[in-house]
Amino acid sequence: MIADVPIREIVVPATLDEAAEIMRARAARGASVSFMGGGTDLGYGNSPERVDTLLKTEKLTRVVEYAPSDQVVTVEAGLTLGALQKTLAAENQRLALDPPRSELATLGGLLATNGYGPLRTRFGTLRDLIVGISIVRADGTVARGGGKVVKNVAGFDLPKLMVGSLGTLGLIATATFRLHPMSERREWHAVATRSLRDVRTLCRALLDRRLEPSAVIALADANACATYVLFEGFGAGVESQGAKLREVARDLFGGNVSRVDARGGVDAAALAEGARTYGNVRLRISTPPAFIPSLEHDILAPLRSAYRECRVVLYPTIGATFVGGFPREGDRFVSALEGARAAAEAARGNLVVVECAEPSLRERIDAFGALPDSFPIMRRLKERFDPNRRLNPGRFLGGL
Amino acid sequence: MILRTAETVDAQRELAAIVGSENCIVDPAELRVYECDGLTGTRVRPLVVVLPATTEEVAGVVKIARRYGLPIVPRGAGTGLSGGALPVENGIVIGLSRMHRILEIDFENLRMRLQPGVINLDVTKAIAAHGYYYAPDPSSQSVCSIGGNIAENSGGAHCLKYGFTTNHVYSATVVTSDGDVVEIGSPCSDAVGYDLMAALVGSEGLVGIVTEAVVRILRTPEKTCTLFATFPSTDEAGNCVSGIVAAGIVPAAIEMMDKLAIEAIVKSTGVDWPLDVGAALLVDVDGVEAEAEHTAAQAVEIARASGALEVRTPRDERERQLMWKGRKSAFAAMGRISPNYYVQDGVIPRSEISLVLREIADLCAREGFRVANVFHAGDGNLHPLVLYDGRIPGQAHHAEEVAAEILRICLRHGGSITGEHGVGADKAAYMGEAFSEADLESMNFVRCAFDPHAIFNPGKVFPTPRLCGDRAGAYVPHATEISEQAGRG
Ligand SMILES: Cc1cc2nc3c(=O)[nH]c(=O)nc-3n(C[C@H](O)[C@H](O)[C@H](O)COP(=O)(O)OP(=O)(O)OC[C@H]3O[C@@H](n4cnc5c(N)ncnc54)[C@H](O)[C@@H]3O)c2cc1C
Repeated sequence: MIADVPIREIVVPATLDEAAEIMRARAARGASVSFMGGGTDLGYGNSPERVDTLLKTEKLTRVVEYAPSDQVVTVEAGLTLGALQKTLAAENQRLALDPPRSELATLGGLLATNGYGPLRTRFGTLRDLIVGISIVRADGTVARGGGKVVKNVAGFDLPKLMVGSLGTLGLIATATFRLHPMSERREWHAVATRSLRDVRTLCRALLDRRLEPSAVIALADANACATYVLFEGFGAGVESQGAKLREVARDLFGGNVSRVDARGGVDAAALAEGARTYGNVRLRISTPPAFIPSLEHDILAPLRSAYRECRVVLYPTIGATFVGGFPREGDRFVSALEGARAAAEAARGNLVVVECAEPSLRERIDAFGALPDSFPIMRRLKERFDPNRRLNPGRFLGGL
Repeated sequence: MILRTAETVDAQRELAAIVGSENCIVDPAELRVYECDGLTGTRVRPLVVVLPATTEEVAGVVKIARRYGLPIVPRGAGTGLSGGALPVENGIVIGLSRMHRILEIDFENLRMRLQPGVINLDVTKAIAAHGYYYAPDPSSQSVCSIGGNIAENSGGAHCLKYGFTTNHVYSATVVTSDGDVVEIGSPCSDAVGYDLMAALVGSEGLVGIVTEAVVRILRTPEKTCTLFATFPSTDEAGNCVSGIVAAGIVPAAIEMMDKLAIEAIVKSTGVDWPLDVGAALLVDVDGVEAEAEHTAAQAVEIARASGALEVRTPRDERERQLMWKGRKSAFAAMGRISPNYYVQDGVIPRSEISLVLREIADLCAREGFRVANVFHAGDGNLHPLVLYDGRIPGQAHHAEEVAAEILRICLRHGGSITGEHGVGADKAAYMGEAFSEADLESMNFVRCAFDPHAIFNPGKVFPTPRLCGDRAGAYVPHATEISEQAGRG
C-alpha cells in the first residue's frame, strides 16, 4: 500500500534497460506507475489515485562512474545515500547532504522529494549539487539533461527541474552529483538559547561576526529552546570560529557554549534527526528567516495544542521548520493545520504535510495548500511529460 | 529588406501607444544598435525595438505581439556572446534597459528585489558598504544586466565555490506569452510544486520575460587571500589545480592563463607579470580569517611542489585588484596581439585540462592558427581564443571551424559545449551533437509548458525549429484541476 492505496503489481528491474522496458510495456497497457526507493517518504504528498504498478529501484544500485579528481559521481537511482557516502569516504569526499535516514533513503527518492538536512545552510539542496540526470519518461523514452561537468549551460536544466517532482514527470534513472571534500575537522557546539527570538538573534550575530557555520539547528520545546551550531573545515578555522561563538553567546545571553559530540553523549545531528522523523503526522513550514521570532506565537503554539505530543526542529538560517508528532482527534487538528497554513502563507511562506499516516486525517487535508499563480505552467509541464497522467497520478500539488 | 505592411504599421502604432513613441524605435539608423549582441558577426534588423518601463507595459507589448503574430526577442544589455539577443527578422525586440531600479534591499532575509535592467555590479555596489555582496560575477559584470544573467545562468570566476546565477535567485516575476504576469519560485526557501526557477534560469529568453527578480545576497567573507603563480607550462599549472583540489581546499576561484594570454595582458595593461613563463594561475581563497590564511599557505606550498617558477602574494588590496584587473581584461587585451579572435567556451572534466590543452594546441597548429587560453580552471571551463586576421579572405570562417572542432574535443572528453556563454543562435547547431533527439524533445517540453505559442526567441538553442504542436494522447485532468481550486492564476 502507498498511503492506503492498494498496489496491483510490484516490479523490480535489475537494470536500467529493464526499467525502460517496463515503462514502455505499462504505457502500452495504460497502467499507472509509482516509484519506490528506500520507502522512507512514501507518505509524502497526497494519496495517489491508483497504483497499478509499483516500480522499486532497489536493484538499481550501481555507482556508474566515480572520478575523485573531478569530484563528480554518477549513480543509479536506487543506491542509498549511506552506501554512496561509504564509497566516497574512501577518497575523503562526500555528497554534502544530510537528510534523515540516509542509510535507507535512495538518491532517486531524495531527488524526487527534495530531501535535505541541516547542511543545507552551507551547501544548499540537491538542486545545488546535481549536475546531470537521465530519466525514463512515461512512454519509456530515455532522456538526459546536464552532463558530468560541474559547469554547464547547454540547454534547459532538466536535472534541477526533476528535483522535488515527486515521481510525476518520469523515473529518475541515474544522477550525477558534484562532491565536496571531507572536512579535516567538524565541531558541534551547543548554545543556551531560551526562545526562538534568541535563536534568531544568534543567527544574526553569527552573520555579523562573519562566522560561516555549516549547519544551525534549533530544537524548540514549548518552553525551552536549544541551538546547535556546526563548524567544519581545517583545524585553524574551526577553532577560531568556536572561540568567536563563545564570545558571541556570552555577550548575547551571558550563557555557556559547550562542545558537544556523540561520544560525549550528545549527538546534535541525531537529536535533530530524531525530531524530524518523530510521530506519524509531520509538517514542514517554510518562512523567511526573519519571521522566526513570530513563529512560536503565530504558528507553533496553536499547532502544538493540536498534537497529543510533538517535536519541533528548525534550520533557522534557512527558514525551515519541521513539526512531527501524534495528532489529537481529527477536527481539532484539521483546523489548527488550516490556521497554521494561513499564517505561513501570510508570511509569504508555506506549509507542506510531508507525512500523514493517519488514514482518517489523510483524506481531510491537502498536503500542499494554496496553488501558486504559476500553477498553469506546472500543469502544462505535467501534460507534456505525462500526457495520460499515469505517473503517480494525484499525488502532487493540485492533483498533478 | 523588411516589409512594412499595413498590419505592421498598425502594430507599431499600438506599441508606441503603450511605451510612448520615444521608446518605440523604428528608425533604421537607430535600429542598428540593436542588430546584434556581443556576437557581433551576425546581424539582423528587427521590425521594432520597444523599451518598456514597467511590468504592465511589458505585458501590454506581449499581448500586441501575440495578436499580430510577431515573435519577441528579449534583450538586456546586449553583451551576450552567443547571439541570444540577436533579433528575429520582422520581430519585436523588448529591451529591458529602462527597468533598472533596485526595488528592495532586505538585509534581514539576505534578499534583494531588482528590476531586470539593473547592472550586475550595481547590485554589489548598493550593499558593499554594509558588508554584503551578490556572488555571481561574470567578467562583464560592469555592463551586463541581471535579466541577461538570469537568462544565461551566468557564472564568473568565483562560481567555483559560490555557484552560478541559478544558485542565487529565489523568485522572479515573469510575463508569459499570453501577456500574463506570473510569479515563479518563492521568496522563502522551499517553493511548492515543480521547481520552475530551475527551468527559467538559463532558458536564454525562450520562456518569458523577467521583469523582477528576488536574488540572494551574501555577507562579504572576513578574509580573501590571493596568490599568483607562474609555471613552465600549462602541465604544471594543471597539476597545481588538481593538487589544490585534492588537498580538500575549495578555492573561491582558480583562473589559468597561458603564455600568449599573459603576453597580451602585459602588453595591454602593463601589469608586471613575467613573459618568460608558460602559464600562470590566479587563485583566491576566502572565508573566516584563520581558515583563509591556512588554506592560502597550503596552496602556496602545493604550487611550489607542482613546479611553480614564482609565487606572489599581493601586499595590499590595491595590488590584489591589479592582479584581477589583469585577468579580467584578458579578452579585450587580445587586440594587442591579433587583429581578430574567436572566443570559444567549452567545458571538460578538470583533471583533463593539460591533456585537452595540448590537443587544442595541436589542432590549431595543424590548421595554422595561434590560440591563447585564459579560463576558469577550477571548474574546467575553457576559453580558447582562436586568433586570426579577418582581412585575409576565408580566415574568419576557417577560425570558426577550428573553434567548432574544439567543442568536439570537449564533447569527446565528456564535457559540454558551453559553460557560461550559452547556446543562443551561435551554438544551436551543435546541440544535436551534445544531446539526443529525446533529450532535446524533453527540453522542448519545458519550453512549451511556458510558451505554448513559441513566440519567445524562436530559432535559438534548438538545432531545428520546434513548435509546440499537439501532444500525443489527450491529457486527463484531475478533479481538482477542473474545479475552482486549480483554475486560479
Ligand atoms: C567581455 C565579456 C566578458 C564576459 N564574461 C562573461 C563571464 O565571465 N561569464 C558569463 O557567464 N558571461 C560572460 N559574458 C557574457 C554575457 O555578459 C552574459 O551572458 C550576460 O549575462 C548577458 O547579459 P546581458 O544583460 O548583456 O544580456 P543580453 O546579451 O542582452 O541577453 C542575453 C540573453 O538573455 C535574454 N534576456 C535578457 N534580458 C532578459 C529578461 N529580462 N528576461 C528574459 N530574457 C532576457 C536575451 O533574450 C538573451 O537570450 C561576457 C561577455 C563579454 C562581452
